[in-house]
Amino acid sequence: MLNAPHPDDERLSALASLDDDSVADAALTSHVTNCARCTDLVDELGVLRASLAELPDLQPSRPLRLLPPAAEAPVATGAAGWVRRLFGPALTVGAALAMVGLVGTATPILDGATGGAAPGIFDDVGTALEGGGDANYEALSSTDDGGAPAEAPGAELGRDLSSAAAQAPEEAAASEAPLQPDAITDEDQPRASWQATASGGDGRLASELPAERSPWPMVLFAGVALMVGAALLRWILAPRAG
Amino acid sequence: MSDDSGTTPRNRTPPLPDEAAVIARAAGGDRTAFTQLMEHYQSACYGLAWRLLSDADQAADATQDAFIHAYRAIGSFRGGVFRSWLLRITANASYDLMRRAQRRPSSPLPDPEEGAPELPDLGAVNPVAEATKSELYRHLEVALTRLPADQRTAVVLCDVYGMDYNEVAEMTQSALGTVKSRIHRGRLRLRELLAEHRELFTG
Repeated sequence: MLNAPHPDDERLSALASLDDDSVADAALTSHVTNCARCTDLVDELGVLRASLAELPDLQPSRPLRLLPPAAEAPVATGAAGWVRRLFGPALTVGAALAMVGLVGTATPILDGATGGAAPGIFDDVGTALEGGGDANYEALSSTDDGGAPAEAPGAELGRDLSSAAAQAPEEAAASEAPLQPDAITDEDQPRASWQATASGGDGRLASELPAERSPWPMVLFAGVALMVGAALLRWILAPRAG
Repeated sequence: MSDDSGTTPRNRTPPLPDEAAVIARAAGGDRTAFTQLMEHYQSACYGLAWRLLSDADQAADATQDAFIHAYRAIGSFRGGVFRSWLLRITANASYDLMRRAQRRPSSPLPDPEEGAPELPDLGAVNPVAEATKSELYRHLEVALTRLPADQRTAVVLCDVYGMDYNEVAEMTQSALGTVKSRIHRGRLRLRELLAEHRELFTG
């Protein structure tokens, strides 16, 4: 039996749970080995720990809902996670493309509705030229002094078509009313020229020209197709809650 | 947790026979498999929640919160002992509930000095447990409810469920030294509370 003061009880508790620091403390272990009171305390605390570790599981007091609502889905990993990670961005890119395509397609139409058509966005070039030609005619009519007409959105393409008409095949050159843009001097001539050019003799000339296709409808189509495809593949490949 | 060793303490729910396969199905979104897991471990989770909260209703709420968390996170389960993983989630849910209750003066936690709360039917869980053991468990449960909340939390997590000091410190957001001190003081207080039943611990 030692007469030395007992170690703090918390240190004895640490020894009972075999904490590294306490086990390595030679003074502590030496004291406990030689002190009945401390030995009993460490033993009791050891039995208490063992009893606590044996406490049984408990039955719930009421039935528990074991599942969250069906709307909640677990965060999938593995195959399901890869499917979502793969097709999620594809869906987003598709939506972005579709949006850009939609805006790109719709903006010139809206402009056209307000009189500022920009030809070239339609597949039917003749239709575009018709709108552009009218706008151009209005601009030309407003120039009383015969000066340079104000540029309208369709003017550039109109000139292109005029020059294209000048280089048309021989049958065009041999027609009764050949198009001579250089000879236009009268104020009314531009209108006539425009109308002839735009309609191209019932659209024949315009239809012979290579159509300048806008990329926007294609972008819109690609975006929608990507979205639909990604959504379908995701639905097919991703495992669903049973 | 001590359960990480792979051996489940006596009186505790053992793993399902085909647990790995059931977990894999649950992780893939199979709700039936998830239900099977939760049904199997609900008494383990509820037991931990009850011991931390000392209240049957709050323990049931915390257990259900834990199940929801588990459902969301089961895809991230990376192997190991599922029971320990689930108990960790339950401990966090219980501790969150405890902190919320402490912030709400209208719903205080049970006062340990007012007497023990109604205990679950320990005999119903362990029909084969001998009477002495059941009596021992009952006294231990009552004594645990009489500990101050911080000491009870530390003792339950460490001694009953085998978490190490660092885990307890992380879960309770306390310093390591504080956790050790709470555990040792809690044990000593339990010993005092159980002094008149000492014979139960020697047999």
